[in-house]
Amino acid sequence: MKPISFILLILGVPLALMLLYVFLKGSMGLRKYILTRIALTLPMVFILASLVFFIMRVLPGDPVRSALGPRGTAEQAEHMRQALGLDKPLLVQYGIFLKDMVTFNFGNSMVGGHRPIIDEMSERFPATLELIIPSSIVALVIGIWGGTWAAARRKTIVDYSLRLYSVIIYSLPIFWFGLMLQLLFGIRFKLLPVAGRIDPVIRTTLQPVTNLYMIDSILSGNWPALASALSHLVLPTITLGLVLSGVFVRITRINVIETLQADYIAAARARGIRERVVVYGHALKNAMIPVITLIGLQVAILLAGAVLTETIFNWPGMGGYLVQRISARDYTAVQSVIAMFALLVALISLLVDLIYSLLDPRVRY
Amino acid sequence: MSQEPLFSIRNLTVEYVTRAGVVKAAEDISFDIRRQEILGLVGESGCGKSTLGKALMRLHRPPARIAGGQLLFEGRDLMKLSEEQMCSIRGAEIGMVFQDPMTSLNPVQRIIEHLTETIHAHEPETTDEEARARAAALAEKLGIRAERLKEYPHQMSGGMRQRVMISLALALRAKLVIADEPTTSLDVIVEAKFLDLLRELRQEFGLTILLITHNIGVVAEVADRVAVMYAARLVEIGDVNEIFANSKHPYTQGLLRSVPNIELDGEPLYKMEGMPPNLLHPPAGCRFHPRCPFAMEICRRETPALETVGPDHQAACWLYHPAAAKSEQHG
Amino acid sequence: MPASDQNNPEIWQDELQHVGFVRRLLMARKWYGADWWFVAISAVMVLGFIFVALFPDLIAPYGPDEIVGTSFLAPGAYPVVPVLLVRTDSTAQALMDLAVPENAERPAIGVIMGGPTATALREHAQEIDEQLTSGKTGLRLRPRIERYASLEELLNDVSSGKLQAGVVDLHEFEKLASRYPQLRTGDSITGETAAAGGFLMGTNEIGQDVFSRLIWGTRVAILVGFTSSILSLLAGLPLGLMAGYLGGTFDRLLSLVMDSLYAFPGLILAIAVTAVLGPSMYNVILAIAVLYVPTYYRIVRGQTLAVKEEVYIEAARSIGATRREILWRYIYPNVIPSVAIIFSVNVADAILTGAGLSFLGLGMPPTIADWGIDLARGQRFIQTAWWLITYPGLAIMLVVLAFTMMGEGLMEIYNPKLRER
Repeated sequence: MKPISFILLILGVPLALMLLYVFLKGSMGLRKYILTRIALTLPMVFILASLVFFIMRVLPGDPVRSALGPRGTAEQAEHMRQALGLDKPLLVQYGIFLKDMVTFNFGNSMVGGHRPIIDEMSERFPATLELIIPSSIVALVIGIWGGTWAAARRKTIVDYSLRLYSVIIYSLPIFWFGLMLQLLFGIRFKLLPVAGRIDPVIRTTLQPVTNLYMIDSILSGNWPALASALSHLVLPTITLGLVLSGVFVRITRINVIETLQADYIAAARARGIRERVVVYGHALKNAMIPVITLIGLQVAILLAGAVLTETIFNWPGMGGYLVQRISARDYTAVQSVIAMFALLVALISLLVDLIYSLLDPRVRY
Repeated sequence: MSQEPLFSIRNLTVEYVTRAGVVKAAEDISFDIRRQEILGLVGESGCGKSTLGKALMRLHRPPARIAGGQLLFEGRDLMKLSEEQMCSIRGAEIGMVFQDPMTSLNPVQRIIEHLTETIHAHEPETTDEEARARAAALAEKLGIRAERLKEYPHQMSGGMRQRVMISLALALRAKLVIADEPTTSLDVIVEAKFLDLLRELRQEFGLTILLITHNIGVVAEVADRVAVMYAARLVEIGDVNEIFANSKHPYTQGLLRSVPNIELDGEPLYKMEGMPPNLLHPPAGCRFHPRCPFAMEICRRETPALETVGPDHQAACWLYHPAAAKSEQHG
Repeated sequence: MPASDQNNPEIWQDELQHVGFVRRLLMARKWYGADWWFVAISAVMVLGFIFVALFPDLIAPYGPDEIVGTSFLAPGAYPVVPVLLVRTDSTAQALMDLAVPENAERPAIGVIMGGPTATALREHAQEIDEQLTSGKTGLRLRPRIERYASLEELLNDVSSGKLQAGVVDLHEFEKLASRYPQLRTGDSITGETAAAGGFLMGTNEIGQDVFSRLIWGTRVAILVGFTSSILSLLAGLPLGLMAGYLGGTFDRLLSLVMDSLYAFPGLILAIAVTAVLGPSMYNVILAIAVLYVPTYYRIVRGQTLAVKEEVYIEAARSIGATRREILWRYIYPNVIPSVAIIFSVNVADAILTGAGLSFLGLGMPPTIADWGIDLARGQRFIQTAWWLITYPGLAIMLVVLAFTMMGEGLMEIYNPKLRER
């Protein structure tokens, strides 16, 4: 079974189950909400994919010429054009494009080995996943805990330091931060590896089942592989996770501050509930509702950061693939990758909305 | 009613430290809350009564702070207690009912959880079963059916939410309930029911209630005694009938005259002259003197203290102070 | 009777009416505390950066493309120039002058142990010797090379005559020259003349001054940041106003498109656009501008919706104000403060995205001095020349920080929800 199918299964099945659960158990209002959300996701993907299509076709610049390079003959150009269907009228092309997208038929790479793009993405998608999931966890933990702490200790040194931290981290160019970490920990102090996902020698001992190296190594009990994969994961995760946490701290802090001013917080204190429970139990739980939505919107930053991080650390994921394919002028691949990104964004948004609906009882009932 | 007051407030001053300066929201306030009485605290918006209410439980937050005074609750000075100790008093001995029941309940917490959490906070050894049973029993007494307890606040009506608020204040048999504008957001019919409920509860649980409101009608309806605040000071306090019949302080008199009377026949409504003072720079002497029709020379210079002017009736006004009257005659 | 009459001292609100703008600014400091400092410091930084962007020649010692020295000079380092060192009374000028007849005593020349001067001496002496022998001049140059650990010992021995000459680094000697007036330098051994050195931030791989490129890069960064933000504003503001005020299908459709755009990773979209359009500054600005239109749109639309429900709008309509008048006189002024705050953060973000694009090689043409490009070029030499990536990245961070701090600080001050009750 292709690795990508496996991954989609791992992600898709729980998602579908959750959807089903919420749908069946929820009230009429909730069901309407979910249907609306799903209904909105489709146009979103549609719009983004169309945008990609038009960017590639309508903007000036001849992809075929660029792909062939200066030595391509007119004949070759014509041949390629036909193969790609670029000679057909725009609307027909658009129709074909949509059909292809829906059937996941990404075609073959224009340049280089002409491999089916889906295979290439198969290998790289799990890599990106293995980067963004731990990074998100790091960012969420630091962000939410830090933001709440700052809000609870307003106008104290804790608050100002955390605000300063979040502003500085937000201003850090992620690619520079990654390079600095490489410099410090990889070169100056030689503690951690700076490139790739796993030691290439160890890689040969690993059977790729899901292509998620951590899971694969645990599944086959290959401990050296696990160690290598983990050590390669450290620097990229810190880079992406820390930079993301800056935004999360800010969002959490603002929302918790606002929540703490609510009447029910004062009412809870009036009942003798300890401050710590008030802040982390009542305020945070309530603040989570807008925070989750806002954080969900930051998936854009997550993916953009992933692209840059992958470039620096030679991480063989979708982001690095995108940049590489652009330099190679492989427009079919570029188009497909961006469409995949759009799909990913839409799915994550849907997921966030589902979580939101589970958290807020006002939506459920 | 027993002799020993439940709560003795002595010389309490609560101030706000703002960027524009220090504002005293309550200055040198002293009064008693007697056991099992309903004491009404009235005054215009912004006169400091809500601040006072919160300060009595030390619930106030920065920039508000208590600048001085004693809070003698059953003999113990609450000012001397640590935050930890105050937490065990709040909710268990003194409870609070807030103005807006919609915003005073946690939107993501079920009603039953509000109650059980309060019980657990003060009596952690209670099992979940016990807590739930107690909560259900209490709610029942207040007219909330058991099935409704697992709902969320937004699913209930205004009146019901207010009853939930009371049940929360009573969950641990608080001795004193401070009700801060509890009927302001309720319509008249629900308000009447609410006041009936307060009377019942006082009867059944031996509750003492401090009722803070700007609505004199509510006070007339249900209070035993009433205290009048103006510009952060207490100007008159006493038995409610006495005060309504024989108000002594010019402000109280003006207040009572301002209430629209159905028997008025085409006369213009009475309106007190002037505006409440800016508490950043309050007037010298008696705060009310710029608007008082009986202002004397001494009123501009010295602040009057509360003096007894009748049976269970005190007022802070130079008009009733023998020395002042004399000096006026001679001066 | 008014509240502040003769009895009350004039309160600060009234006073504020009478003073000028500057005093108002200073009075605000007491009011806002730490947040005021946040905004003030960042405002100063922003003005500083704008100044640098406008007048780079005043600060940068060299042009952005000037080749000023040897490549890969570390910050403050001077390139090594080996020169002949002799006593002032000696006639020798070049290494060749030390050649002696076949059987004469070999000259003793001192060098620092294991340094580049030693290597230079050895190689060139050998070269010259071979020339001499093949030219049948009868002279040989086979010096006795004396190795020293410290420069001072070497200088002392040349002064005392123990050594005929020394080969030292010109710059190192010049540091101590005042103490040895009896010594002077001759020609360079390698033929290189004294190259410039001591650059504040070192030089890059083709010998350009990193510091100058940094300064010139400010111009590009600020230009990209401001221009793209202004363009986004010009597009997003009216769209948001109209969508918020008019509502209906126009609003829903537009919002759908804008939300999709907003959720999509901006960098990737910008990458796509620049990839197709080609590398040029205009394309970068355009791509980034398109990216931020949804941000303005959403905030402006949100504010418009909120303001639209206010009673004074209804009042205005009842006295016959046209739609345009309402939009312009009532809604627009209320929207401006939020827009100003977003603008600040937007510029910061735009600069970051622009740098990211250049870093990936997709932004500017490589001829323009830009921080992102410098970072990308420096990445290859991360092992040996750490200063090539450290300084440009630091510059990006400081500029972005300044703008972000300003936006954050302004937001703390203006946002009523965050104020104390």
